[in-house]
Amino acid sequence: MRNLARVLAIDIGAPVAAISALLIIGVMLDWPLWWVSACSILCLLIVQGALINLVLYRRDSVTVGTDDDKPAIRLAVTGLAAAALASAVAVGYTNWILPDRTFTTDSAEVVRIATQVSEATATFTPTDPSSSIERAAALMVPERAEAFKAQFGSATADMAKRNVSAQASTVSAGLEALGPSSASVVVIMRGTQNAPGQDPGVAVLSLRVALTKQQGDWRVIDVAPINSR
Amino acid sequence: MAEQIVLGADRGIDMGEIDPGTLSVYRHVTIITMRGNLPCMPGVDEVPETGAQRSRVFSGFGVASAVLAIAAVAAVALIAVMWSGHRASTAERSYQARSMQAAAEWTAVLINMNTDNVEGSLQRLRDGTVGELNSGFDTSIAPYRDVVKALRSATTGQVESVSIEEIHDDLDARDPQRPTAPASLAPEFSARTDTVLVIATSVSENAGNKPTTVRWNLRLGVSDVDGKPMISRLESLR
Repeated sequence: MRNLARVLAIDIGAPVAAISALLIIGVMLDWPLWWVSACSILCLLIVQGALINLVLYRRDSVTVGTDDDKPAIRLAVTGLAAAALASAVAVGYTNWILPDRTFTTDSAEVVRIATQVSEATATFTPTDPSSSIERAAALMVPERAEAFKAQFGSATADMAKRNVSAQASTVSAGLEALGPSSASVVVIMRGTQNAPGQDPGVAVLSLRVALTKQQGDWRVIDVAPINSR
Repeated sequence: MAEQIVLGADRGIDMGEIDPGTLSVYRHVTIITMRGNLPCMPGVDEVPETGAQRSRVFSGFGVASAVLAIAAVAAVALIAVMWSGHRASTAERSYQARSMQAAAEWTAVLINMNTDNVEGSLQRLRDGTVGELNSGFDTSIAPYRDVVKALRSATTGQVESVSIEEIHDDLDARDPQRPTAPASLAPEFSARTDTVLVIATSVSENAGNKPTTVRWNLRLGVSDVDGKPMISRLESLR
């Protein structure tokens, strides 16, 4: 009974576990060519080892698992199987768990930044004309921020002269696409514009905000209206 | 010359010596044993197991192997948990992609309705809906059908953007004058309902008139009905 358990655990379980770990690492890595090659070699070595073990069992009636004189080999076999499984855990954590967590946190982060920038671009106070522009520019990549300030500078000067104020609130924001270093978010806002002597004008604005990840932080690279036709 | 052999007796490992006769002690091949090494032999005292012998069952190698085996089992459990979690995440993204596609296809039919295809389009739209939107489809869409037929317009529409809603602030809820958003499908009919934002533009050309551009900001509820994403809520954001 004890020998049967040893055979099941060491002679059969360990190589099966090691080969399974190598195969699942391949699935986790999405089978790159180098791993196809490395996995083939390692699996072949494990199968060879198992075959040698079988041959020795037929000759000596003793296997790696049941040989009391060679506990070091048994330890090595167990260690190799455990190492393969531990490697699979490490690869799974870096290739599955971390990207999944990053996707979830990035989803919330890009939408938060996109709504802040969108609301800032559609908000204007005549008494402090540059505040919303500065707020939006702070969340943009530096080169885009400069262009944005230059683009909106003249428009805000005119609005300030006419004492026009604008306010925007996000109605809905959705994620169009999200990759490891780029994202696209749609923001639908309700904008209200007030001008002296006129009724407030209300309009629905839909913007597409493109973002990129730079040094771990999401930054806006473009803000553009969608229904522009 | 003596040869040593190791015998695995019923308890412990015992050593014997085969004397082929060179020692001139015995004339015949004999197994000489040390007292107590072969306890199965008659006349030999029972050798009690000592603590040192018991500890040999759990040698350093054995303990290390057991620890590694436990670590391996723990690793297998972790891999199973990771596999399950990753599959759930992948399935979630795949389902969201299918919801977005269903919403885009449904909207494409809606914004491309012409005099020629109005009946077929309405049938397709109805087939893609579920819940209250489906049961009240005729009532809610009848005026629209009449307008399309009366105007004899040629409409071409284009879906500009499809996205999964992450944030929604119901500004209308603060305004009692505005209607409230339609309810989602009841949980007993659908396992889940996602909200998809579709932004589209359509251009209608009526005979003799200037083309009219219509901008659509739609908020669609997409419900999972037996694995098939269907439209359960239609709301226009204004």
